[in-house]
Amino acid sequence: MSAANEKAHAFVAGLAASAGLAPLAEAGRQAMTDLPVPTRKSERWKYSPLTPMLVTPVRTAPAHEGWPKDVPTNPIPGLDAYRIVLLNGQVVAEACDLPVADGVVCIPLLQAMAEGRIGAGDEDWSAYHTREWVGAVHAAHAQDGLFLSLESGVVLDRPVLVHHHTTGENVASCPRHRLQVGANAEAEVVLWSSAPEGASGMVNAVLEGKVGAGARLGVDKVQHEHGAVFHLAHEHVTQDKDSTFRIHTVTVQGHWVRNELNALQHGSGSHTIMHGAYLPKGQEHVDNHTTMDHTVPHCTSSELYKGILYDRSTGVFNGKVFVREDAQLTNAYQQNANIVADAGASINAKPELEIYADDVKCSHGCTVGQFDEEALFYLKSRGIADRAARALMVQAFIGDVLEGFGQDEVAQEVEGLLADRHGWM
Amino acid sequence: MLTIKNLHAQVEDTPILKGLNLEIGPGEVHAIMGPNGSGKSTLASVLAGREDYEVTAGSVDFDGTDLLDLDASDRAREGLFLAFQYPVEIPGVSNLNFMKAAINAKREHQGLEAISAKDFLALVKEKSALVELSGRLRDRSVNEGFSGGEKKRNEIFQMAMLEPKFAVLDETDSGLDIDALRIVSEGVNAMRDAGRSFLVITHYQRLLDHIVPDHVHVLSDGQIVKSGPKELALELEAKGYDWVKEEIA
Ligand SMILES: Nc1ncnc2c1ncn2[C@@H]1O[C@H](COP(=O)(O)OP(=O)(O)O)[C@@H](O)[C@H]1O
Ligand SMILES: [Mg+2]
Repeated sequence: MSAANEKAHAFVAGLAASAGLAPLAEAGRQAMTDLPVPTRKSERWKYSPLTPMLVTPVRTAPAHEGWPKDVPTNPIPGLDAYRIVLLNGQVVAEACDLPVADGVVCIPLLQAMAEGRIGAGDEDWSAYHTREWVGAVHAAHAQDGLFLSLESGVVLDRPVLVHHHTTGENVASCPRHRLQVGANAEAEVVLWSSAPEGASGMVNAVLEGKVGAGARLGVDKVQHEHGAVFHLAHEHVTQDKDSTFRIHTVTVQGHWVRNELNALQHGSGSHTIMHGAYLPKGQEHVDNHTTMDHTVPHCTSSELYKGILYDRSTGVFNGKVFVREDAQLTNAYQQNANIVADAGASINAKPELEIYADDVKCSHGCTVGQFDEEALFYLKSRGIADRAARALMVQAFIGDVLEGFGQDEVAQEVEGLLADRHGWM
Repeated sequence: MLTIKNLHAQVEDTPILKGLNLEIGPGEVHAIMGPNGSGKSTLASVLAGREDYEVTAGSVDFDGTDLLDLDASDRAREGLFLAFQYPVEIPGVSNLNFMKAAINAKREHQGLEAISAKDFLALVKEKSALVELSGRLRDRSVNEGFSGGEKKRNEIFQMAMLEPKFAVLDETDSGLDIDALRIVSEGVNAMRDAGRSFLVITHYQRLLDHIVPDHVHVLSDGQIVKSGPKELALELEAKGYDWVKEEIA
């Protein structure tokens, strides 16, 4: 075993094997030995090497003793939502508030397994564990999460809040969610992750979704973790014809974050919206890898990621857009804009378009710049202090990402947190 | 109000202002005219505190404070205003949020509470009417997609909102048609009073038919080479700047 693999082996030795998801766990364990541990040499991990994470082994938390009293189960003031809460990857049943209605199954994933709602051989939609070592680690140790299934035509009356909280030192959490939105059904989900000062370890989360014909799925995803948590997240969503999938990903705070978002259009007439923003400070690291896969005709996608990098933080944006041979009349848009606010910060941004169909409209742009000094002077010349002037410009810059959230309350809370963090007014 | 003594300023290593003297009393309107490239905008930028310009000698006293010692935002809070020759477009920053931030920055400096939403809106209504700036423009992002004339009207709107003690208008007349020129001038004239002074920079005499100055100065190669009453502007218009150059040669 190589030194890197030995480190990786030691890193995961304290993780408990997945309890309720046995077939997937077995495949994951196998894949962990088959797949290489990513290093700086692998293109997909070049700018987000796992080395700093692998230094300190993590372990699965013992069975929880209830939701911590000082942490709100719903961190978003005013948001009227159903709720599933997880502590270190485990569902805290007594703190959940889940809908019971005809055509709606909204329960913990392990319960869904136990009730036979997930068929043998259907435990995995993403094949993440066959592609990535971290995916294999997740599969082998997947814990619990949200299982949401909507029958045809069902429109959920409130969003479902999925709140994951990490607490303790060197804790490993592997939450796993499944969202199945039937034909013409509609669901909104808020994914919120939090951690207090002093928390550390790894969150390795997977969300799988299927959006049925004519259905809509919207996700507001917010990462707000103090402490030193390494956060790996993978969303994998497939879309049937005439469906809409929207996801907004905002990293408010996170020690080290790697988001890997895949959307696959399998039915014509689908539309995908992937928007995101990241504003790392200090020595934080945020990586967004996205894949938009157009495989059928007459689909559209809109991708917009904006980043502002402060201090000595680092960022990565990698946006793959595939337009397969059959995907004629695709209209794909991708934009990634970055402001490097301080000389010590950096971003590695890379759009990757692979277009195999000929009758398509694809536009993309990627910019890395500094603050517009002319605009700053103009603001200051009216009496606005330097810091406040920069804040106005930052808010303007990421405004078009924030305004697209599904839930206004989430947008407001995110703006408030960012204002506190960055000293905006 | 404002006393400029022997002001020298340069960009990179090129001297532009070369010993400029100017004294502006309270309530006075001074006009500075001069050929392109003579340093008019440089003077405006130096007064407003743009950092690209290095002051190498001289002093600027603003009502007892050393203006050159303050940064741009502090100068504005002390009551200085610059109407830009080329106002900047700032996408995403709403004109009104911008003005609210500016007013509150000034109020904080004066030890006052932040303005209430109601008072702010009333103020916006009053001041935008002054320059006939429609709600549509007023509520948009700062100068974004504004025509040249709309940008200049927005400058005067901002000046009216902030009620400075001393305002520099840098070629506010350029690019204005006759109607806009009248609107802008009336906006400025409405603000003239015994406690407020103006420095009106212009290339053409026609603005001074509307905003009648107390004194006219000619700037040439970084120095004021001639000063006189308002009639000097007419003389310059008739005889051209070369006449001044010949006269001083
Ligand atoms: N930022 C700058 N960088 C380089 N040269 C400048 C800059 N600003 C002004 N200048 C030069 O200084 C001189 C005076 O310019 P300016 O003050 O804009 O004149 P005016 O407003 O009278 O037309 C010109 O020769 C101009 O090219
Ligand atoms: Mg000029």
